[in-house]
Amino acid sequence: MAQLIISVGREFGSGGRVIAEALAKRFGIPIYDRHLITEIANKTGMTPEEIEKYNEAPKHHIVSRSVRGFSNSIEDNIAEMQFNFIEERAKSGESFVVVGRCSESKLKVYPALVSLFVLADMDAKIKRVMEIYDLSESDAKEFITKKDKKRKRYHNYHANGSWGDSRLYDLSINSTRLGIDGTIDFLEKYVRARIGE
Amino acid sequence: MTAQIFAVIIFAGMFIMIVLDKIERHWVTLGSGVLTLAVVFGICMRSGEAIWNTLALKDFATKEFWYQVTESESSGINWSTIIFIAGMMVMVEGMAKAGFFRWLCMRIAYLVKCRTMAIFITFMLMSAVLSMFIDSITVIMFLAAVTIELAQLLKFNPVPMILSEIFCANLGGSATMCGDPPNIIVGTSLGLSFFDFLTNTGLIAGISLAVSMVFLYFAFRKEIVAGGNAPVDMSKLPKPSEAITNKKDFIVSSLIFACAVVLLVTHATTHLTVATIGLFIAAITLLTAGKDALKLLKKVDYKTLIFFVGLFIVVSGLEETGILKLIANFIGDISGGNVYLMIAIILWISAIASAFVDNIPFAATMVPVIQSLSASAGVPINTLAWSLSIGTDIGGSATPIGASANVVGTSVAAKNGYPISWGRYCKKIAPATVIVLAISTVYIFVRYL
Repeated sequence: MAQLIISVGREFGSGGRVIAEALAKRFGIPIYDRHLITEIANKTGMTPEEIEKYNEAPKHHIVSRSVRGFSNSIEDNIAEMQFNFIEERAKSGESFVVVGRCSESKLKVYPALVSLFVLADMDAKIKRVMEIYDLSESDAKEFITKKDKKRKRYHNYHANGSWGDSRLYDLSINSTRLGIDGTIDFLEKYVRARIGE
Repeated sequence: MTAQIFAVIIFAGMFIMIVLDKIERHWVTLGSGVLTLAVVFGICMRSGEAIWNTLALKDFATKEFWYQVTESESSGINWSTIIFIAGMMVMVEGMAKAGFFRWLCMRIAYLVKCRTMAIFITFMLMSAVLSMFIDSITVIMFLAAVTIELAQLLKFNPVPMILSEIFCANLGGSATMCGDPPNIIVGTSLGLSFFDFLTNTGLIAGISLAVSMVFLYFAFRKEIVAGGNAPVDMSKLPKPSEAITNKKDFIVSSLIFACAVVLLVTHATTHLTVATIGLFIAAITLLTAGKDALKLLKKVDYKTLIFFVGLFIVVSGLEETGILKLIANFIGDISGGNVYLMIAIILWISAIASAFVDNIPFAATMVPVIQSLSASAGVPINTLAWSLSIGTDIGGSATPIGASANVVGTSVAAKNGYPISWGRYCKKIAPATVIVLAISTVYIFVRYL
């Protein structure tokens, strides 16, 4: 199989990660999500918990400064390490699925890239988050809003273009319409069509 | 009045944009500079003369710009600072390419037989001495990288060492006219020499360095010794000579560096200005680089040079509209003519401001303020200059964002798996900064008042 890179951007609670995992399984390729954290943990000696704290987080402008491409912000440095990692994998010709990390923009130059964005209706997201995290409806809603706000700031700082803007991705899909399984089936067909299978 | 309001709005907007870091800072200052020229000088003041004075292009045609027998002050765009910094950037690129910095770090580590505590002490000293002549960003970039490499081989925690190196780089930078950009701005604006700085801020830095090294030793001793006691297998370490990429380039770049040091130390006697020295050093580096000259030129950080041009124009806007005089009068009023209070205000306000915002715009703004204050309050300008230099140079050490060296050092550490949070940074370095500022204040009081 020729190189295939599937980038999955997602709203919190939309099932984007589960969909990305399923796609990785169906195409028999690795997925970089949690793995990006452990990989950097192994490389640097930091604990995964330490990295998790700064993972996909926007930097705090007031307490951060950049000088000639160097930044004191730990969030920035972790982000850069992750961008370098996926860039290296892409350059090596490896096929993989990557979740988030501005990958639709960072890997734009690779013809093997198929960029997807998974969104969902707020009600469906709340229901999902209530189940997974055992939260009340209002807490789930607040949690979703907070997480998405953070992802949006992270994305828009590191990449050109707005997070979730359909013009940035090859395909944006609402997972509520077909359900998670239906969305996976649909996306698999789409990706197969893209790689000419 | 309208001109004053616009000058302040542009200046405040520029500062906020620099802090927010959304747009690269050189575009921020350049855009603000163009606005100052168009709105403040052009529309509000309708003064072609103010624009001409600010651009200061006529400076290039004056003999004093290149060869200065008597001290003279400059205003508008401080081209001397810009040319000197550009020249030093070319030289440093040449040195880095030849492997000079890495060689020096490895050589010293070898000389002290890679004993952790000895590396800690010698690297602090090296950081301070190199930063007296070379910009602290370059010094820390190399020193921090080698420190991490040694830490991984010798199994010690590099964070305390990097923090100490950063602190000493800022301290070393305060010792000379070319060590830290605020000093170059203060020196060239007020017609001070390298030797003037060395015998004034240099002495303060020397005393402070001795005290700081003792403080940092006790502050970090446990962390450094822990894990670093294993017998050292020197054969596993990279040889210093391996750092040299090209022997001829290495010798040439070392000679050029020595030449730059001699020219700077003697420039009060030779009457060559820092602009002349910068241009000469750049020219000689490029000539000896041969076909690599273009590569070196491309590596120059033009963004910083553009940043300076814009910044000087914006500050001129404040100066020409009399805003800086108002600030000077305000400082004069609140100190009630008490020189001690005036010095303390200049030094400590500069330090506190520099701990959180870029100290270069702050110093550029404060130079005309202290000139005005000196004229109105009758305080010797040099005393105020030393207070301003020490305040801006040392204050920057207090936080991870206070000075460029801090940002670069913490970034190199984080990239290698040693993230340094604000708390980690400030816990030991902020008290060290306060100690040095206190020593400096007392020193200035005793020596000059």
